[in-house]
Parts: sequence; C-alpha cells; structure tokens
Amino acid sequence: MSTLVSAGMARSIRKNQGVIIVFALLVALLVFGAVISDRFRTTNNVLNILEQSTGLALVSLGQTLTILTGGIDLSVGSTISLLSTLTSGLINGDASMIAPVIVGILLLGLVIGLINGLLIIWLKVHPLIVTLGTGTVLQGLVLLYSLGPAGKVPKGFTFLAYGKFLGIPLGAIFVVVIFALVGLFITYFRLGRYIYAVGDDDAGARLMGLPRAKVILTVYGFCGFCCALTAIYLTARFGVGQPYTGLNYTLTSITPVVVGGTLLSGGKGGVLGTLLGVYLISLLNNVLNFMDISTHYQLIAQGLIVIAAVSIYVEKRKRI
Amino acid sequence: MLKLTGISKGFTGVQALSSINFDVRAGEIHALIGENGAGKSTTIKIIAGAFKPDAGQVEFDGKEVHWSRPADAKAAGIHVVYQEFVLFPHLTVAENIFLGHERRGAFGLIDHARTRKDAAALLQKLGVDIDPDKLVSELTVADQQMVEISKALVHKVKLLILDEPTAVISGREADLLFARLSALKAQGVAIVYVSHRLEEIFQIADRVTVFKDGQHVITADIGGVKRNRLISYMVGRDLRDIFPAKRKAPPSDKIVLKAENISVNGRVRNAGIELRAGEITALSGMVGAGRTELAMGIFGGLPISSGSIMIDGERMDRMTPALAIKKGVGFVTEDRKRQGLAMQLDVAANISAADLSSVTSRGLIDRQRENGIARQEIDTYRIACRGPATPVATMSGGNQQKVVVARWARTGGKVLILDEPTRGVDVGAKTEIYRIMRGLADKGIAILMISSELPEVVGMADKVVVMREGLISGELEGAGITEETILSLATQHPTQEVK
Repeated sequence: MSTLVSAGMARSIRKNQGVIIVFALLVALLVFGAVISDRFRTTNNVLNILEQSTGLALVSLGQTLTILTGGIDLSVGSTISLLSTLTSGLINGDASMIAPVIVGILLLGLVIGLINGLLIIWLKVHPLIVTLGTGTVLQGLVLLYSLGPAGKVPKGFTFLAYGKFLGIPLGAIFVVVIFALVGLFITYFRLGRYIYAVGDDDAGARLMGLPRAKVILTVYGFCGFCCALTAIYLTARFGVGQPYTGLNYTLTSITPVVVGGTLLSGGKGGVLGTLLGVYLISLLNNVLNFMDISTHYQLIAQGLIVIAAVSIYVEKRKRI
Repeated sequence: MLKLTGISKGFTGVQALSSINFDVRAGEIHALIGENGAGKSTTIKIIAGAFKPDAGQVEFDGKEVHWSRPADAKAAGIHVVYQEFVLFPHLTVAENIFLGHERRGAFGLIDHARTRKDAAALLQKLGVDIDPDKLVSELTVADQQMVEISKALVHKVKLLILDEPTAVISGREADLLFARLSALKAQGVAIVYVSHRLEEIFQIADRVTVFKDGQHVITADIGGVKRNRLISYMVGRDLRDIFPAKRKAPPSDKIVLKAENISVNGRVRNAGIELRAGEITALSGMVGAGRTELAMGIFGGLPISSGSIMIDGERMDRMTPALAIKKGVGFVTEDRKRQGLAMQLDVAANISAADLSSVTSRGLIDRQRENGIARQEIDTYRIACRGPATPVATMSGGNQQKVVVARWARTGGKVLILDEPTRGVDVGAKTEIYRIMRGLADKGIAILMISSELPEVVGMADKVVVMREGLISGELEGAGITEETILSLATQHPTQEVK
C-alpha cells in the first residue's frame, strides 16, 4: 500500500508541475511565517491550520474529479448548506440519531451528485449550467426547510471536529487518508484513467468507446458524497447547521484545484496538487492573521494567487 | 480478407454510396482513391462499424458480418487510423497505446511498469524510437501517427485502414511510414490506404480502386494502370477544364509586397518572396516545410525574428494582422472553422464583418443593406446557400471558402494570401474557387496561394516559390512549372525516383 502511494505520488509529481510549485510556495510561506512570529512556530498553530483546512479539503477533493473530466460542480455550496442544516435539524440534540443521520446524509449527498451526473448525461448540457440550476434548486429547498440555524447537535457529535488522535485532529487525519485513497483510485484503476481521458478529449473518449457515462456518474456522485462529508464536518465544528453554511464553498472549492495545477479544461492534474493547494490557502490566511492583516486582504491575496498560479500553468501555444 | 458487395448508403438527400464493391486481400496494400465526396470516408466508416449500410453485404474473414458498433469491428481485428488522430495529449504514449485495454496486475490495478514495457516492445516491433513515457502532446505529428498505428498492434490486427496518412507528414517521414507499412504487409496484414496523392500510391500499393461520386469506377493492379488514366478516372474530366486560363498579359513590374530575409523562430530561415500585381504566386513544398509560417510571418500572425517587409513600397517596421489588413493584405486560413468564419452567424453577417462601416448608419447596423450586399456577393461568387440568412455552419466547405473570399474582396485589398484554399472541397467548388482567384488576379490583386496539391499549383500558378525545411529551395516560372520540377525542389529527391 505505502509503495503504491509513494509510486503514485512520484508519478503525479512528474506529470504535474503544479505540485512542485505549490510545494515550494508552501515551504516559502512556512519559513516566512516562522521568521515573522514566534507564535506561528507553535505546534498548536500548525494543528490549527490543519483544522481550518479540513472543510475546504473535503469539498475540493470532489471538485478536483469533476474538473479533471473537464466539468465543474457549482452546486457544492448549496448542497453543503442543505445537508448541514438537515444534519443538525434531524439530530436535534438526540445522541441516538447521530449514526442514522450521518448514514442518511452521506447517501443523500451521493444521490444529489448522481442526479447532477444523470442530468449532464441525459440533457447533454454543460455541467456548469446543470449544476448552476440544481444548486439554485437546492438553495431554495434548504430555505423552505429552515430560514435560520436548525436544531442542535449533542456534545458527542462535535467530537468529529474536535476529537484528536495522538494529538492530531481527526478531521486532518481523515483528509490525508481519503486523499490518498482517491489518489490511488485515479492512478491505478481503469475508471480513474478514463477520468483523465474524458477530460482530455471527450469526443475521442466517445470514439474509443470508453465508459463515459460511468465516468461522469462516478465523479459527480463522489463530489456529492464529498459535500456530505464537508457538511457533517462543518456542522460538528459549528455545533449547528444553517442555510448559508456552504455559500462560500462554491467558488473557493475551485481555488485549490487550479492552484494545485489541475487544468480547468480537464485531463491534467490530480489530488496531491489540490491537497497542497488547500494547505497553501489555509497557511496564507494564517500568516496574514499573524501579520494583523484583515480578512478582506486575505481574500485579495487569495485571488491574486489563483491568477498567478494559473498564468504559470497556462500551456504555451505551440503552433499557430 | 474483406469483401464489400453492393453496398449502398444514403444520408438525408445525398446518396453517398451506390452499390459499390470493394475487396482487400491479406498481405496486400490496397489504395482507395477518389476526389473529396467520392465516398471514401463513408466506405471506411462502414468497414469500421461506425455506419450501417442501407443495402449490400460485408464479409470479413470469410463470414458475413453485421457490425453495429466500432467496437465490433475492432474486436474482429480492424483498426482505423483516422486523419484526425484519436490521441489524448496529456496522457503518455504508453497510456494512449493501451487506453481501454489497460495492462493490469494484482487486484486488477493498473500496472504502470508493465504498461511501459509492453508499449516499448510494441514500438520496437514497429521499428520506431519513441519514449513511451513522453506525453503525446510533446511528440511530432509523425510520431503521433506511429503511436496511432502501434495501437493497432495491441490486438492482432488483420486489417489496417489509413485515412490520408501523408497529409500531415513530410516526405522523409512518409518514406519511413511506407517502410513500416511494407513490414506489416509482409506479416500478412491487409492494408487499405486512402489517399489522393498518386505518387505514393504507385510507390507502395499493390492494387488500386477508384471511387467517383459514390460509385465504383475501377479496381486494377497497380502495374496495369497509368497515372493519367487514374486522374481521369478520379476527376471524370480533363484537367484543362478545371483550371481557368493563366495570366495572358506579360508580368507586371509592380511589386505589391516584398519580404526579405524573413526568419520565424526555427521554422523559417532567411526566406524572401516577391508578389506582383495581377499574378498568382504559389508557395509550394511539403507539409512542415514552413510555408504557413512564412506567410503568417508576413501577415503578422507570427512574430518574425528577422527580415523586412515592404507593402506598396512602404517599409513596415512591425507587423500585426490588424496592420496588414489595414494595408490591404488578406489572409484566408487553412482551418476556416477555427480562424476565419463566425460559424454560428449567417452569410450576410460574415460577409460584412470586415467592413461593418459600409452597412452601419447612425451607429446601427442596417440589416437590409447588409442583406442586399450579401445577395449581390452570393451571385458574384455563386455561393450555394438558402440566402443571406443561412448560418455558415450549415454550408459546405467550398461555399464557406467563398464567403471568406467575398468578405476579404470587399475591403479593397491588394494582396490575398490563401492557405490550402481547396482543402476539403469537392471538384465543382474547386473550379469555382480557381475561377474566383483568377478573377481577383485579373483585377490587379497579388495572390499568394499555399498548396500541397501539385496539380493545383501547376494549373494555377504564374510563379512558384518552393520551400524545404524552412528555406526557399527555388523559384519556377512559366513553362518551368511542372510537378516534377516542384517535387525535386521540395524533396531534393532526384526526379527519377518519382514514378
């Protein structure tokens, strides 16, 4: 297993220059942070960064796969809002409901993703439009369910966000494990290879008779599942879900993907770059915090990084 | 190996194939030739299982078959290398070769090491030196073609079909390709070779079949036919009827455009060219010789690293397409879909696009005036369409070409550059385009035509400039323009090698 992971990582580094660039930026920021602040260097702060990055990491993982196929999922924000609100609303302080609700929410996330996938296949409409539509519908649904924070969660549930294993937040460990599993999937499974092929040349994939529908269903289904994971994590962290919990995630879930070197047009990239991209963004916010720079400037810095990163990866036009 | 009997296939309104017969034997290279629209592509697609014939029967390996999907034909051992490769640029060579048939190891996981090893073995068997770890986007077109062919060897290929394989590669690369094909032939593979370059057919084919307008004209052993007979089988009429008469007047002295010492980043070195008013100059040479790059450099579409350009005696310090158009230089690109036309807009909007001020009043576009102008141009150039409101996307390649020319001619230009003006256009439309080009030249416009089709160059050009590997290898004029002289300049092969 570990040899597969390391071989897979070596492969993704070779095929995606973004991994190296983002890694270099990460190291540079770490050094910079360590120089400007003593408190930055504490273990507590590092754990804090990992904790802050968990929600973004989970949703960006799903987004990476949709973007690799040349698509995108703009419904992630409202999916997270809906699932998060439902989680705390349905548990409503009853510890015995935790397990069934978690299972139900994960299934619901999967179903929402599969519906996206089916619509994309049947209607032959660009994923951007399809998920813009489903996302709007879902936002309407969550507001029908509740106009504000719904229900509450028992103490035991918040363990999912604040629990630690060997001093490391559970969420952070879970992120590394699930990224590794998905990384293995797209590197060593045929279906994973076809994700790249569909993103690289959709028409070609069709001509070669590759299972295109299966690829689309897999990535959107998985993206919905990732939204459910994010929703459960955020609900545990905030102690309650509300109809705008996921609002910001729609566009910020794309940021680490493109910063990590995945082409927005699909066919090239991977999850390692995305994970490093997530860490880079969390670290950047953290460092700016230590410099007493307001969150508004953090947004500006994030935006500039996206544009700079993508301009580096842009493929030079080879021929006229 | 393969036998088609009485195959017919029609599409809405068009009979693409009428009861054709065609057969291929194991271990032979069978050339399938014909003009555009003769039915070659349809035939290939029927063999490949992509189309179902309306009538007739297909026999493969002695059994009648009814393929409904490309996968069925593939499983039976048929592999088609289409003109537009089915390759995935961001996957490696090895990954491309085994796409859909991944090499797998324990637990069904993809075995990357074995994929690479098997790919290397296949490439070696084909006798090509390509790194299986490279991304396909990093390969030359010729190497990409070899990757396409090696995909055929993943299964035991019995019938290999190549659709115009030499349209994209240079002469030397073509010789390599022919050697590879001969080796496959010796292993008993049947090969269908679609082309309209007669030279290479005589070089490699054992038999030749000619299609014309969806009908089978003749099948013959290559030794038993003469080149000229094949041409008349294909065209169905004499070449003299296709091309308009050449320039009658002696060459005018007026040099409209003069480019000297042009170099374009590795693709063109110190090339010079002079275009005279009223004259059609052909820029000839193999694909990849740097013809398009030279023309693009002159037009400002590619940065030139050295050289000077004079238009009408005025020295241009720098060149951009916008400036070139302003000075009266037009460029009709080879890939009209991508660079020339707004496909979703209609004929009228496309014709007026470069000259909107003529149809604008008080800042608004006058659709009526625009349509009137379009109707006039549709008449002048005999553009076949349902009227000014026809979307360009629905028109044939030849008629799209005419729209581009009409638009440019309206701007009152002095120089018109046409890159492969008749690619993908049927014979009738070709004749029209030739007539239009000559008409423009007679009006005093200097025309530069880039063309890979020798008969076209010989039939049309008053002057020929030949390029080879980025350099100008020679100029020909008047009676000195023959296919043989052009070829020898373009390839440096002694002419007698070309049968």
